Amino acid sequence: MLSKVSLKKGRMDWVIPASAAALLFIGTLAVFSSVGVLPNYERIIRTHLIAMPIALIFFSVAWSLNYQVYQDQWKFVYGLSLAVLAGVLLFGVADKGAKSWYRLPFFSVQPSELARIGLIVALANYLDRRGGRIREFGGSLGAMLIALPFFLLLMKQPDFSAILTTFPVVLAMIFCAGGGVSHIAIILGYAAVSALFPILWTLLSLNPELVRNPLLDFFHGLSSFGWDTLIFVAGVAVLAWAAWFLSVKLYSNISGVFFTGAALVIILGFFSGMMVKNQMKEYQQKRLEVFLSPESDPRGAGYNVIQARIAMGSGGVLGKGVFSGTQSRLGFVPERHTDFILAVIGEEMGFIGTGFVMTLYLMLLYRLRCVAQLARDRFGYLLCCGIFSLYLVYFLINFGMLLGFAPVAGVPLPLLSYGGSNMVATFFALGVAESVYSRRYAFV
Amino acid sequence: MRAVTPVPERLEILWTLAWAAGLLFLLRLTGIQVLQSSHYRELAEKNRTQVIAQSAPRGRIISSDGELIAASKPSFTLVYFPGAEVQASYADRLAEALAGPLGTKQEDLRSSLRRAVTRETPARIAENLSVSAMFAISGLKNIYSGIDVITEARRHYPFGAYLSHLVGYMGKMDSREWARYGASGGYGFDSRVGKTGLERMYEKELRGKPGGIFMEVDSRGRLSRILESRKWVPGADIRLTVDSKVQTAAEEGLRSSPSGRGAVVALDPRNGAVLAFASSPGYDPNAFVSYSDEEFPRQAEKIPEFNVAVQGTYPPGSIFKIISAAALLESGKMTPSEKVFCPGYYDAGSRVFKCWERKGHGRMDFLDGLAHSCDVYYYTAGLRAGPLAIERKAREFGIGRPTGIRLPDEKAGNLFGPTRRATRKSYWFVGDTLNLSIGQGETLVTPAQMAVMMAAVASRGSLWKPHYLDRMVSHDGRVLLSRSPELRGEVRLAGSTWDLIWEALRKTVEEGTGRPARINGAEVYGKTGTAQTPHGKDHAWFVAFARMPGAEPEVAVAVLVEHGEHGSSAAGPIARKVMEAAMRETLPRKAPAPAVPVPAPAIPFSAPATPLSAPALTVPAPAIPFSVPATPLSAPALTVPSPAAPVPAPAIPFSVPAAPLSAPALPVPSPAAPVPAPAGAAAPQDAPAEVRAAAQPAGPEEAAAYEAGGEPAGEAE
Repeated sequence: MLSKVSLKKGRMDWVIPASAAALLFIGTLAVFSSVGVLPNYERIIRTHLIAMPIALIFFSVAWSLNYQVYQDQWKFVYGLSLAVLAGVLLFGVADKGAKSWYRLPFFSVQPSELARIGLIVALANYLDRRGGRIREFGGSLGAMLIALPFFLLLMKQPDFSAILTTFPVVLAMIFCAGGGVSHIAIILGYAAVSALFPILWTLLSLNPELVRNPLLDFFHGLSSFGWDTLIFVAGVAVLAWAAWFLSVKLYSNISGVFFTGAALVIILGFFSGMMVKNQMKEYQQKRLEVFLSPESDPRGAGYNVIQARIAMGSGGVLGKGVFSGTQSRLGFVPERHTDFILAVIGEEMGFIGTGFVMTLYLMLLYRLRCVAQLARDRFGYLLCCGIFSLYLVYFLINFGMLLGFAPVAGVPLPLLSYGGSNMVATFFALGVAESVYSRRYAFV
Repeated sequence: MRAVTPVPERLEILWTLAWAAGLLFLLRLTGIQVLQSSHYRELAEKNRTQVIAQSAPRGRIISSDGELIAASKPSFTLVYFPGAEVQASYADRLAEALAGPLGTKQEDLRSSLRRAVTRETPARIAENLSVSAMFAISGLKNIYSGIDVITEARRHYPFGAYLSHLVGYMGKMDSREWARYGASGGYGFDSRVGKTGLERMYEKELRGKPGGIFMEVDSRGRLSRILESRKWVPGADIRLTVDSKVQTAAEEGLRSSPSGRGAVVALDPRNGAVLAFASSPGYDPNAFVSYSDEEFPRQAEKIPEFNVAVQGTYPPGSIFKIISAAALLESGKMTPSEKVFCPGYYDAGSRVFKCWERKGHGRMDFLDGLAHSCDVYYYTAGLRAGPLAIERKAREFGIGRPTGIRLPDEKAGNLFGPTRRATRKSYWFVGDTLNLSIGQGETLVTPAQMAVMMAAVASRGSLWKPHYLDRMVSHDGRVLLSRSPELRGEVRLAGSTWDLIWEALRKTVEEGTGRPARINGAEVYGKTGTAQTPHGKDHAWFVAFARMPGAEPEVAVAVLVEHGEHGSSAAGPIARKVMEAAMRETLPRKAPAPAVPVPAPAIPFSAPATPLSAPALTVPAPAIPFSVPATPLSAPALTVPSPAAPVPAPAIPFSVPAAPLSAPALPVPSPAAPVPAPAGAAAPQDAPAEVRAAAQPAGPEEAAAYEAGGEPAGEAE
């Protein structure tokens, strides 16, 4: 397969745009069908149609431009990405509690979508330049430090959905570049701890009756500085030491560094979690609550997912026909033109539709992987790895959520869901991949 | 140029993750979309459709003379459609406003309204509204959106406690009934079903097909369009052989009897049709119509379910002497003219058996022996004929076997005789013979068995299986079921034997113990009985049949009054009234036929005969006041009268029973019209088809036309 593709001298891998176009077509049908009864459907359809030619332009430009330009100009790309993200905090408008939109005369732009591609570029450059030294812990840490400003700015908006989809991409890029698996695990652990604390605190504030439990009350009290903090830090340290002591007594070969590291990760994660918590404004906290429990719907837990699953299941093998899904058109499926677009496709086009969409998605991923392997340099390879893992993350989270493998998270499905910025960014990213493909031969 | 140092294995791992996940997703998708698809489709259908069910008017139960024993009358149900104002505070305000007119507790209303608001589903808030409540709510409808009053048909028993053990009553379903009916469709959790009697036996036929408004709603519960508005199909009518006049006589008679407990069964000896079937204590089935879920079981426990007429077993006492007489005459061991001296007792050697007349009857022949019910004569006769002959005759007359009437848990009674003793490996004594021949001892019979026996005597041998269901007619006039007379056996006796028994029974009424049952102008044949019981005063029996001179007997009746002491005084008059009512058509005109007081339930008597009542039974679909709280979608979809409009419309059926009553109901006792029954009531027998057409509640056009016409009085003439 690899050799067959490489022998072809085409400037473009047609499978990628073909499957992207097919997905876009199906997605457009589903979006039109599901918004048909919404009050603002005209605006949605208009935005969707305007975004298409723009996406095409971005794709063409990215394809024709030598991707190595990004590596040369990485500082500019990185700076621009950070600038648009910072700018949206100053000039952006808020929608559903998140200040993540630039309002333009005809439509709004969500800069985080394009900035994410910028981050992938910057990371690919860094990882490329780092070379073999990526195996050191410093290599992974450096990649994280490059990504950190993005996360902070996204947190500030706040756009948890973007964080949730970007963070795994960063880890996957480090992984593909050859970063130590244990280092990635440490980063993941630290991130998990620092995310867990604010999430648990928020959950506690959502369920005030739980605070009556003294242990949970103590935990709740940790969210602000005080004696509790000292007790907690000391407690973790003592526990780590006790665990190390025990392992020594048991003649195990586990190094003391492991315990020290674990304690450090927990303590540092705790502190950064506390920082995040205290930095969060009220509306940000509210947004986190909504993100954490979409079930705060009066109709009870899991309503959204259940309705989405009913929609998919009721479609059967052949579906109810486009524009005739009752679940989606009557509004039983929430967020039906964005996060739950797959449910609409499942209802109206049936198993054939969802199966086809999944095949197209996997085909796209497969071609991105091939392109990565054909890349003429390591930068191109890492760039494609980033793009590959970005769509892999979307695929896993969105499908997994709908089918009940992952918790509910407001994550759209690129190329299918409504969202102009996402569509443009997606086609831009695919264009970059095509650029890598078309320049796969080394012209010395 | 830097060296290309890809680490393809790392990317390969990610790609493996991708397709493995894809495979997993595909499996899950197959599960959801292919294997469980029908389950989810059902859920989706449930999601989008809301049904406001409307119960169909249940089939009526009509007496043979055309009176409605069970009917349906319009009832008003308050429904609530959650609309734009989906807030708990709105529910509270609404509950406060509704509590007054409904007369229910505000908290109850609030909880059911709140449930409707949070679930965003339409809900029935109150059923069976009173007229005043309905008017008050109709006014509130303009202020509060979302509430509405819909019309439904509800069971109504015009006579109240009447024929109750046969008709049965209705109630909410329990889990067993849900399993039985629920699957077959059309039943909701709040549907009422027949619990006993005819209501239960013919539940499916009586019920009809409920209608409903099938709406497509969006996720907020707002109406997006009406999918279907289905008209109900009324249930089939059941026509009984029971005659309302005879039944009234029986019920009244039992009610005014000394103990108020007992049973009356009247049969037509020509075909075994039940003319009256009264069992006291009875109950008023109307009482259960309005009970709520919680109250119903408690109320149902209080029901006297015990059906004296088929479940009560009593010693027959002297009425058994008819069977002994038949055995004696058939045996030929004693001529009818042979006289037996009655000193007031019979010395059986080891024990002295007394006659009920302590003074003694003196010399008695066969006719006198039965007419005066002389025990000593029957002691002698029993010993002559032998216990085996009496037992055989008793078996022939159906003692010890259920009559086969279609009622639950009928008792067989007990056949007493030497054969039964022998099968139980016990001895038969002379004293047993003596007891047997006068109907004491171990013989036990039900009132229904005695009626069947008397009908057999009246028909000279036909042992009928009593039937009370004449026919069942569907709403479009098809006869679904009709019962033809069914013989269960035949009593073969010589013609002379029948003649003698008849003569003796006639004499009993003319000059013997049965005098209270005498009817001027008719020949009445009867026998009293007094059954001793260890539990208190004796039970009073009276069995009789009557005919016009020279004609066939028209009615046979068995009356039992528990602890009535004397057959002649307690049970006799009841039998007379019942027979008089049964023969009111053939009796000479000057006889004051309506000896039976026409009580309050006479009001609905006229109902089936005139088309007046038709709208009262009808729930016309277009008139259903049904407006969903203002949503932009509902406005064009519903061509519904404005909230104010439906108010006068449902009012019309209500005025019907009240206003025109006087017109058709009054001619009954009028001397100017010598026909004992009102013309209307008599009509069904002459022209059942017409009556059915007129009384049929079916046609919505009819009802609509009627409502347009407005004045009911015009048609009452």
